[in-house]
Amino acid sequence: MSDKITVENLSYFHARKTPYEIKALDGIDLNIQSGTVTGLIGHTGSGKSTLVQMFNGLLRPYEGRVLLDGADIWAKPKDINKIRFRVGLVMQYPEYQLFEETIYKDIAYGPKNMGLSDDEIRERVLEAADFVGLDRELLDKSPFDLSGGQKRRAAIAGIIAMRPELLILDEPAAGLDPRGRDAIFNNIVEYQKKSGSTVLIVSHSMEDMARYCDRLIVMSGAKILLEGECREIFTRADELSAVGLDVPQITRLMLALKEKGIELDTSVFTVEEALEEILRLYQDK
Amino acid sequence: MKSIAFGQYYPAESPLHRLDPRVKIILTILYIVCSFMCKNVLSYALLLISAIALVMLGRIPLRIVLKGLKAVLFVLGFTAALNIFWTAGEQLLFEWKFIKIYVEGIYAAVFIMIRITALIIGTSMLMTYTTTPIALTNAIEDLLSPLKKLHVPVHSFAMMMTIALRFIPTLTEETDRIMTAQKARGADFTSGSLVARAKALIPVLIPLFVSAFNRAGDLATAMECRCYNGGEGRTRMTVRKLRFADIIPLFLILLFGAGLVALNILKIGYTM
Repeated sequence: MSDKITVENLSYFHARKTPYEIKALDGIDLNIQSGTVTGLIGHTGSGKSTLVQMFNGLLRPYEGRVLLDGADIWAKPKDINKIRFRVGLVMQYPEYQLFEETIYKDIAYGPKNMGLSDDEIRERVLEAADFVGLDRELLDKSPFDLSGGQKRRAAIAGIIAMRPELLILDEPAAGLDPRGRDAIFNNIVEYQKKSGSTVLIVSHSMEDMARYCDRLIVMSGAKILLEGECREIFTRADELSAVGLDVPQITRLMLALKEKGIELDTSVFTVEEALEEILRLYQDK
Repeated sequence: MKSIAFGQYYPAESPLHRLDPRVKIILTILYIVCSFMCKNVLSYALLLISAIALVMLGRIPLRIVLKGLKAVLFVLGFTAALNIFWTAGEQLLFEWKFIKIYVEGIYAAVFIMIRITALIIGTSMLMTYTTTPIALTNAIEDLLSPLKKLHVPVHSFAMMMTIALRFIPTLTEETDRIMTAQKARGADFTSGSLVARAKALIPVLIPLFVSAFNRAGDLATAMECRCYNGGEGRTRMTVRKLRFADIIPLFLILLFGAGLVALNILKIGYTM
């Protein structure tokens, strides 16, 4: 599988050369494979949001390179907007960026900036609205008449309408109720399957990440702590808890059972898998 | 971004940072008065030395102070040029066609430059660099409190200033966030004609205003929930008492002013 994004020795400082200087990224190396759903996990202030803003050129690294399909995104700084259309970034609480009179126009803002024809824009807006499960009747409403969850969907649709090769979502479910969370994540995974694009989800919820991601990247203190398949990562519960992160609750339960001397496979992270594993144990007996 | 968020305040450990903000405001006013009392070479030299002393007392890196001066470089140059070319005097130094430059003009230009520089360094060192905006507003409220007797709403005025100052960093951050979000959708704020650039700001301004109004509403509710009803009977969590060390600078500035007056009477060196 080829790499969508490759990051080499990336470093970045906030408020450089002021008394408030903070090292936000410290020599990061990583790659994100094409066609996968990758999760980026880390504590508040670990540098997740800064890192994802590197991928579409919103921030320029002080050291190191970001490669998109093997090409340095800063090769031509004037064309950085083209990179932003290829790497769509949904920021945290994206509903606060809605500004147009109607949802339709707002979703069309990105495609319009790409210079597409009206027909093409229309097609993309409707497609994006379908992907995020937004009723077509809502498209003519003002963004300010919508509920919080609907606004979130509209904002995500605004990015999807640009048909990015890599879709990055920074805490897409923050502040939503459990049903809203599941709906948004299911929509995203479904979108990934249908479009064949690459998706990167930033979150600090292990449960969500375990359920929806193929691979995980764990950040801590401006560095990459762990990288790999979900299964691998969750077997290293000690390292995770050392940086204040937790394995999913169900994995913790399995680890506790193992500590009691019950021989079972602890690399499970959904309730269904755990059920299967426990049933298997019973049948073996 | 953080540097904007905190205004000009430069955190450091220095005698000026420790000084009572109320005293600093009075000092600033007196310093401005002093700078206008300078009339001859010696007094201007004294003014320049006092400005340098302030920078050293405040322990602000020279780089930061010079950056602040860069903003007024044009004003400095412009006033200096005006003074050189338009001051008529007795000693003609240089003449070419209609341009006549007198020695008096050179003096006037140098003096005005020293005065403006000292004014800017003095006020910024005493107030903006070394005092947090909130401490400044509190000090202004204290100094204006005698006006309460005349039914001037000093407290409301100070509260409005405090709130405005409090929300500058928040709104800067918000603007930053919205601009980043719109850039991610391909917004371009830096190229195109003036009209195109102004139009590009609409997607930033609308969400910004919406959130500012929401915040204002939330804040009003939160204040009411905590039974805020104006300044009547309100006390501060930390009350600053005037220490002896805070009074010394007041004596110093009076001494400085007296020295300037003396120099003016003695008329040593070139006098305007």
